[in-house]
Formats: sequence, C-alpha cells, structure tokens
Amino acid sequence: MKQYLKNTWEAIWTVLVGMKITLKHLFMPSVTIQYPDVKVQLPDRARNRLYVNIDDCIGCDQCARACPVSCISIETVKGMPTEDLGKTSNGKKKALWVTQFNIDIAKCCFCSLCTYPCPTECIKMTDVYEFSEYERANLLYKFSNMTEEEVAVKKENFAKMEAEKAAAKAAAAAAPKVPKPAPAAEATKTDTENK
Amino acid sequence: MNIYDIVFYLFAAITLASAFVVVTARNIIYSAFSLLFTFFGIAGLYVLLGADFIAVVQLMVYVGGILVLILFGVMLTNKITSVQIKTGTLQVIPAILGTALMAGVLIKIFTGTNWHSQMAQYPTKTTAYALGHILLTDYVLIFELLGILLLIALIGAATIARKEEKAS
Amino acid sequence: MYNLLNNLIGNEYVAAVIAAALPLFVFILPFALAAVLLERKVSAFMQDRLGPNRTGYRGLLQTVADILKLIQKEDITATDADKKLFNLAPVLVFAGCYAAFAAIPFSGAYIGADIDLGMFFIVAISSLVVAGILMGGWASNNKYSLIGAMRSAAQMISYEIPTALVILSLVLVTGTLSLHQISEQQTAYFWNWNILGGAGLGFSKLLLIPFMIVGFIIIYISSLAEVNRTPFDIPEAESELVAGFHTEYSGMKFAMFFLAEYANMFAVSSVVAALFFGGYQSPFGYLGNTLGISWLVPLEQFFWFTAKGMFFVLVQMWLRWTLPRLRVDQLMTVCWKYLIPYAFVNLIIVGLITLL
Ligand code: SF4
Ligand code: SF4
Repeated sequence: MKQYLKNTWEAIWTVLVGMKITLKHLFMPSVTIQYPDVKVQLPDRARNRLYVNIDDCIGCDQCARACPVSCISIETVKGMPTEDLGKTSNGKKKALWVTQFNIDIAKCCFCSLCTYPCPTECIKMTDVYEFSEYERANLLYKFSNMTEEEVAVKKENFAKMEAEKAAAKAAAAAAPKVPKPAPAAEATKTDTENK
Repeated sequence: MNIYDIVFYLFAAITLASAFVVVTARNIIYSAFSLLFTFFGIAGLYVLLGADFIAVVQLMVYVGGILVLILFGVMLTNKITSVQIKTGTLQVIPAILGTALMAGVLIKIFTGTNWHSQMAQYPTKTTAYALGHILLTDYVLIFELLGILLLIALIGAATIARKEEKAS
Repeated sequence: MYNLLNNLIGNEYVAAVIAAALPLFVFILPFALAAVLLERKVSAFMQDRLGPNRTGYRGLLQTVADILKLIQKEDITATDADKKLFNLAPVLVFAGCYAAFAAIPFSGAYIGADIDLGMFFIVAISSLVVAGILMGGWASNNKYSLIGAMRSAAQMISYEIPTALVILSLVLVTGTLSLHQISEQQTAYFWNWNILGGAGLGFSKLLLIPFMIVGFIIIYISSLAEVNRTPFDIPEAESELVAGFHTEYSGMKFAMFFLAEYANMFAVSSVVAALFFGGYQSPFGYLGNTLGISWLVPLEQFFWFTAKGMFFVLVQMWLRWTLPRLRVDQLMTVCWKYLIPYAFVNLIIVGLITLL
C-alpha cells in the first residue's frame, strides 16, 4: 500500500518536473540556423569540394594514385626542353603539360587523401559544399586550362621530338662506331625505372 | 411527412438493411460490422421514441462494449475469415413451421396491441431521472440481484481466466 | 440554435442541416488548421527549434498548404485491403467525433443539441470511433494497422471506465448530466467552478476541493488515453507500428483521420473544461452584463469556452512533448491498477460528502 501511494506520487511529481523543464524550453530562444539564409562557419579542415590550382600543378600524378576511388584522371605530355613551362609558386620547375586533369566529384568520397601527397599543394579542399547538379556529367570537373588545339600542338611537338630522338638514335645505331654498352646502360636504366 | 418521419424511416432502413447483412454476409467480419449499424439504427429509433437514456445506453453497451468484444473475438481468432459459414437449407419443413408460428405470434401481437402511436414529444425532462427513481424504489430487489449476478459472472470469468496461469 | 435558425430561415429542413453543419465549418475545420500548426510550433519551441516558418508569415499558412497537398494526393487503396470497410472507416471515425460536438456547449446561446444526457452521450458516441478504428485497422489488411487498431480499441475501452467514474462523481455533485446545465451551475466567477467545489457554499464545498482535483487529474489522464495522445499513443507508436491503424491511408481519407484526431482533442479538452472549469462561463464576470449589452455575453462565453478548450489542448501538447510513450502493459497498469481504484474511492468519498 505504501509502495502504491509512493508510485502514484512519484508518477505525478515526475511528470510535473518534466513539464517544468519543457516549459522552460518553450521560452528559450531557438538554436535553429536557417540554413540557406544563414550558414555556419565551417571548421578549418572541413572537407568539401576539391579545387586544383592548375597553374601550380606539375602533373606528378601522385594525387590520382592516392585516390582510393580513382576519381582523378590526369594526362600529361612532356614539355620540350626548349620550352619554359614556368615555375610553381613554391619554386618548382614544371616539366609536363597537364593536358587533362579531371576529377569526377560524384565519385569522390571526400577522404582528402589526394591533398596530402601533392608536392606543390595545389589540390586542396575548399569550403564549397553546395554543388549539386541535375546532370551527372556536370559533376566531372575539368581543371586543365589547355584548349584542345594547344593540347594537339603539344602532343605533336612531343611526337616530333620523339621521332627526332628515335631518328637520332636510329642514326646513331646505324653508325658502326658507336660503342656497345650504350643500349645496355639504357636497359638497366629502364629496369630501375620499372622497379 | 415531417422531418421526424424522414428520420424514422432512415433509421428503420438502416436497421433493417444492416440486420439483413448480418445474417446473410458470408464474411463474419462483415456481419460483425453490420451489427454496428443495426445497433446504431436501433439507438436512433429509441431516441425517436423519446427514450433518450435507453438510446445512449444502447450505444454505450452494445456498440462500445459488446460489439467491440465481438470484433476482438473475431479478429483474434486465427483465420476466422476463411472459415465457410454454412448457409445451406436444412430441415425445410420444421423451419417453415417454426417461422410461420413465430410470424403468426408476432402479427397477432402487432395487430392486437393498442399502440400509443402518437409522436413522441420533445422530451422536456430526461428519462434518466424517472428510470433511476424506479430502479431504486419499485425494482430495487431486482436491481440488486442483477448486480450480484453480474458480480458473480465477473468473478467467474476471473477465476476461469486465472486457472490456466496456475497450471502452466 | 436550431430554433433560432428555424425562425430565421423558416424552413426546418434547411435549418436542421445548417445547425448540424455549423460546428464543422465554424469550428472544427478552423480549429484543426490552427491546432496542427500550434502543435508543430509548440513542439518546435519546446525543442528549441523554429518550426515551420516559410509558408506565409512565420509559417502561418503551413497547414493550409498541407491541406491543399492532401487534397491533391492520390487516394491509394492497397490491393488486398477490404475496399468497402476501408472506405467506410474514416467516415465512421469522423462521424463519431463529430457527433460528440453536438452536445458540447460552446456558449449559452449555441449548443448543437441541448440534450439532458449530454455527457453520457459524448462518452457513448465515442465508441463509434472505436468501431471505426477497428474497422480501418482490419480492412487495411496490414499487421501494423491491425495491431494498432487492437491496441487503440483496448485502450479506449479501458480508459472509458475511469472517465465514466469521474463523471459519475460529478453527477453526484451537480445532479445533472447535461453539459449545458453543468456549465450554467458554475456561474460566472471562478470560485464557483467545480474544481473549486462547485457553486454551493459552506463546509462541503471546501471538503470537495481535493477530491475534485483528484477527479480532474484522473479524467484528464484518461481523456489523453482516449484520444491516443502521448504518453498513451501506443496505437500509433511510430517506432513500432509505423502509424498504427492509419498506416495504409493516404490523401483525403488520411486527412479525415487526422481531422478526427484533432477534433477529438478539442472535444475531450472542452469536456474537461465544462465539467471542472466552468465551461463557457467567464472566470471574472461578463463585460456584457456590466455594460448592459446583452448580445455581448454569448460572444464572451464563446471566447472563454474556446480559450479554456485551447488551454487544455495546449497542455495535451505540452505533455506530448514532455513524456515518452508508455509500454502496453504499463498503460493497462496505469488504468486498471491506479486510475480505476482511485476513481472508485473518489466516487465514494464525493458521494459521502454530497450526502452531508
Ligand atoms: S578526396 Fe579522396 S576520393 Fe576525393 S579525389 Fe581526393 S583522394 Fe579521391
Ligand atoms: S599531386 Fe598536385 S602536383 Fe601532382 S598531379 Fe596532383 S595536383 Fe598536380
């Protein structure tokens, strides 16, 4: 009986306590952030849309290799020795034309693994997070700033150079005076490269 | 035909039609739910007769209590809806005899009774007072006995329900 | 009201139809619109949110937009549902709760049907709702719906008992079942309210007060259970039963269930207000009486009645956003082991006091 009365009392009392709390909250200012109108300050290391500062990119392909979902695809063409490709902002000399730098952001899982290996810190996370699209194709971001003609020209140059080299090599090979170790040295070199 | 007549025929039609469904429906759930309308129609008829208290009690006890109980029983019984209810004609001659007898008696009563068929007045005072008064003066013994009967039934139900618990 | 309209229009059929339709259009629909918005706003504020605030000024038109959306929605009937009963159920539920409004005294001048058994009628007619819910739950042919309907029916029937007992104890005090008369008796000052012992004077009035408060608490709790509000909303427990008995309903039929639910909320609140808090009587006397403008009094009464009803609806919402849901067995324990015994004891004591 005592327990019974105690239960009753506790039920009523605890309900009143709860009601007091909710009543208090009824008059508290709301904590809502009206999202599209008001935006929260993102933390410094928030991971959102990627951006590539293509001027700084040396086309080393490290970011593409680091990416776990392979959403970065990079194509490069070697520059001519005579050409000056400029320098990156931290003083590295560029040697490759980045003819294609595509990030399929729809695949990206925002792991940020691509940003760490970049030697010039040109691929980085921005604070843009509203980039939904109606077409999936629009989510393939192309960062390379070279036009198709330019790419064609560079490729042609490179092909010409290769051809010249090959021709030079062929000419050298044709010449009987050339000492034999040269191709061997070349072979070992490629071997180590492959390793 | 004034508005009361219309309402009367409406309720009568509801009662009869749904009662017909109750006995003819193949699906027991339909029977149970049509019973709702039968009860409701009868309550309406009571109101038209000026028996407001009975009408409300009709709703409360039959719709609120008994009907819901029936529905519970029907719904909790597994696969009851798939059971075919037999509605064939058996024993034709005794049935006709019985029905004829019953109909005869009813018609006799119907024609022989001196009906107070005047329209119920808008009840100025609820019948609850008179009913309560009668129940606690003239019929107090019956009232009390009924109470005891119900109590016994209640206790009986509780004991039957409890026995199984002990056994298990 | 019917008589007034009858005189005004001169045709009793038209008058009857208008008198019957009046509460729906003048009261239930606007109330439901307001209450749904209120519920959202109250829940939002209690959770330190803002709630709907895009449609109209601060979201005031939100429910209107919702209704428009519901009207446009496709009316889906599941393939294996029992079509007839499925379509009938929302009508029945709505009819049940709408019929209850007939006996609710909105003001001294407007009461749908001033029946002497008003209170009893409301309790009885709400059983129609139970049948409708069972029907909908069964006809949906869905486990969640059926379980929800069963729970709902069991709960409503159980909680009718404490309600009826408290009403009985009030009948002992007031001597009538008519809500109109009960309201009339608690004349225009708050110390005449039933919760403060009724309009009588003397020692028994003081004695009655604690028991009236107990009665009020009991009837309020059980009325919460009867309209399936939290903490007694196990019939539509979202986490277990999707939406309970109206899981399969969409479009207008769902809207009818929804409307019935909110109408019911107001119905029980106003019954509580009429029984214990003076009904349509003003707590401080009438402006109309003081100024001698007689037509102002019914309007004031309507205002006070709505205000009291709304207040209790608000408390229902307040409770909803405060308390978690009870378990089924706890629900039954509360009813059978706590409320009913207390209601019985209360009834006996109130009876003894009135005999004094
Ligand atoms: S963030 Fe991760 S997934 Fe996205 S591009 Fe960089 S490495 Fe790939
Ligand atoms: S790691 Fe940096 S520099 Fe290298 S390819 Fe990627 S973006 Fe360019």
